[in-house]
Amino acid sequence: MFQNRTEALALALPAAIFAALVFLVPVILLLSEGFRVADSWTFSAYADFFAQPLNRTVFLRTLKLGALVTLVAAIIGYAAAYAIVSLPAGTKGRMIGLVVLPLMISPVARTYAWIVILGRTGIVNHALMAVGLSDAPIRILFSETAVFIGLLQLFLPLMIISLVSALENLPKDVVPAARVLGANWLQVFWKIILPLTREGLVVGGTLVFTGSMTAYITPAILGGSKVLMLETLMYQQVTVANNFVAASVIAFILVVMSFAANILLKRIATARNRS
Amino acid sequence: MSDRFLALDKLSLAYGNTVAVRDLDLEIRKGELLALLGPSGCGKTTTMRSIAGLMTPVGGRIHLDGTDITRMPANKRAVGLVFQSYALFPHLSVFENVAFGLKLKGMRGTELETRVTNGLKSVGLSSFANRKTPELSGGQQQRVALARSMVMEPKVLLLDEPLSNLDARLRLEMRTELQRVQKESGVTMIFVTHDQVEALALADRIVVMKNGAIEQIGTPEAIYNHPVSAFVADFVGFENIFAVRHGRLVTAAGGVMLSGALPDVAGLAWRPRSVSLGSGPLSGTVRGVSFAGGTREYVLETPLGTIKAEVDAALPAHGLGQTVAFDLPVAGAASLRRFG
Amino acid sequence: MTRRLFAPLTLLLVLVFLIGPFLIIVAASFSAGDTLAFPPQGLSFKWILKVFTVESFRDSFVMSMFLAIGGTFAALIMGIPASYAMSRYRLPFSETVRTVVSAPIIVPGIIVGLALLRYFVVPIGVPITLALFLAHTALVLPYAVRVVSASLNNLRPDIEEAAVLLGSSRLGAFFRVVLPNIRGGILSAFILGFVTSFNQVPVSLFLSGPGVRTLPIDMLGYMEIVFDPSIAALSSLLAFLSIGIVFAAERFLGFSRYV
Repeated sequence: MFQNRTEALALALPAAIFAALVFLVPVILLLSEGFRVADSWTFSAYADFFAQPLNRTVFLRTLKLGALVTLVAAIIGYAAAYAIVSLPAGTKGRMIGLVVLPLMISPVARTYAWIVILGRTGIVNHALMAVGLSDAPIRILFSETAVFIGLLQLFLPLMIISLVSALENLPKDVVPAARVLGANWLQVFWKIILPLTREGLVVGGTLVFTGSMTAYITPAILGGSKVLMLETLMYQQVTVANNFVAASVIAFILVVMSFAANILLKRIATARNRS
Repeated sequence: MSDRFLALDKLSLAYGNTVAVRDLDLEIRKGELLALLGPSGCGKTTTMRSIAGLMTPVGGRIHLDGTDITRMPANKRAVGLVFQSYALFPHLSVFENVAFGLKLKGMRGTELETRVTNGLKSVGLSSFANRKTPELSGGQQQRVALARSMVMEPKVLLLDEPLSNLDARLRLEMRTELQRVQKESGVTMIFVTHDQVEALALADRIVVMKNGAIEQIGTPEAIYNHPVSAFVADFVGFENIFAVRHGRLVTAAGGVMLSGALPDVAGLAWRPRSVSLGSGPLSGTVRGVSFAGGTREYVLETPLGTIKAEVDAALPAHGLGQTVAFDLPVAGAASLRRFG
Repeated sequence: MTRRLFAPLTLLLVLVFLIGPFLIIVAASFSAGDTLAFPPQGLSFKWILKVFTVESFRDSFVMSMFLAIGGTFAALIMGIPASYAMSRYRLPFSETVRTVVSAPIIVPGIIVGLALLRYFVVPIGVPITLALFLAHTALVLPYAVRVVSASLNNLRPDIEEAAVLLGSSRLGAFFRVVLPNIRGGILSAFILGFVTSFNQVPVSLFLSGPGVRTLPIDMLGYMEIVFDPSIAALSSLLAFLSIGIVFAAERFLGFSRYV
């Protein structure tokens, strides 16, 4: 550990000043706009924002989709992660690789694929008509379902890898021990696996939830203007309505949620380091 | 001059606001093998790092070979340091590790080759020149670290806990090795250790440190037989240590008179084998007994507190719960000038 | 029996769900038809070839490459010394510095883009390309600091002291001893930064002007107007590019150790 403070500051300051000037200052200015109406500090922009039914709908839809995606990702994630950790080491590594692989692909490309699948001339409609379940193409795109599917595909890998590492740290033989003591599989899950992997679930859940809440590409491509979420609404407020105050309000909501999630994750990390 | 080859005068060292070493005076002779001994946090490593120049003193001066090096940068001091972790460069081969400092001096070609080869030969690693260092065992890594410092022909070689990362067999081997290298090169060596056995076995002179100050300086014999304070006595294996006041031993139960007059000292200390068991004016109850080959070790509960005694295993054993008479002969005690 | 099959079967379905869509766009990019449909009508390379002839794709590809390479490079130039200061020095306000440089990872990108538009581009007249460059650099900075810090923390700090005691200067010790040992970490940080920046959409949403836009933004705009398989072809090409880079990085660097 070197003692020279001047040297240390000289090394660290360019990055810190850059981040402060290019990132912190403009963002704080932007966030403050929502609290400044007619040159005075006020919450009126927030009242106005939530007075509009559309904004309320979008806000609630964003929360709902975030929660739903997180819940479904958790359920699927547990099963998939359990299957992965039961595999022998080599196969396990390859499976984790396959799960992580989509994270490296452009989200635009990943989301675009759903147009091919869910579109009017896409696979699903082809299949439905071929089987005779429907005689005209049904509309799946630009619905909450489409956005939900897109978000789930985008963020499920984060849940799975969080749960894989939680399950790997499960103390050896607790599951067989519970089985021997007479627990059925559901009881094993509720009383043993869930409490012992709670941290991993919270980590994965936070990543999936904030990812979904702050998604832009998926609602933009699969939801369009029919199924707005907070970020697509913000984009509209700026480009269509030129309403920067509303945009600032949305930005503040997004930042608060992201920070809350980040603090939660940090708490978990420190608690884990301590134990 | 040669008595003051390396001299620390009123040296004070601090980490931020935490003082680690206060007003330390120490003179080291040329060619000496000195041990800095003490528990962790006593300031021994800090003192060593300041000699190397890795720490700037907040007060006092350091002189080496007649030059004031207090503010001299670490890379100009001609002081070598063998790190506890060895700190080998993982991206370089054994040869390149040893050549590192010589190359910085501008040495090239055959001269470099010869010096490095000789350095490796002197630690018995000639055949390892092209290995990567992470492939080596702990003992081999330490030899590389030693060679890397020695080829620089430092005025002083510092060693941080040189034996602590080695297993028992290698420790003995390395101890001999260090002594040999020191005798052959005549380099002044200072090593830091928390292990009294290591210090006693290896050093010409031992400096016992406590709370950032020197507690006692002396030869291994002096430290072992005549500790000046309760702290040193405890550190070198005196298990029964008492303060002396008004001619009595101070115990939890009050003053205790011993047979024979007590000298005018601050305290007295007995090793377990100096306690005579079986007769004497004092008595205690056996609370623990264990067989240790040639001897038997007893833990006694006595009016003086717990007393540890070690006697010849050939003598009849005392069982648990028995009451035994014993004596603390003043002749067999170490006299402590300071208590604390 | 059914229970034993439940988890593996879910895993299989999950993999189909995660990777299937990607395989489908790969298939769609070889379509011979003029509209996007599956199964593809015939087999041809015409859409793959067309991608290379669309001028706006070429321009935005160059822009995205510039941002990803230049931005990551700039982030590393600032991030490596900062990481070094945080891991090797008693840095005053260390926690504040760490929070400030890693903040861009927490705040959604769309906000950063809008903030730069509002306070840099519009009032001061900062060129959009420069604003994009600054935004992408800020975005990549947290990744650079995180990955480089991790590899610095894996390296024993005393080897620098050893180098200094052998006659090296502090700066020399950094270049001779530290840099060669964190090369893998730096390269990994570069790849992570590159992929992050290249695929990034929200940051660049508000930062586009005539002839200036990133490739993903360009793709978003194109797919709103034209409904042909060229986006599928481009997506496949980009996906293979990312996978190729990451695969090579994992193979030669052990990328996942650092990320």
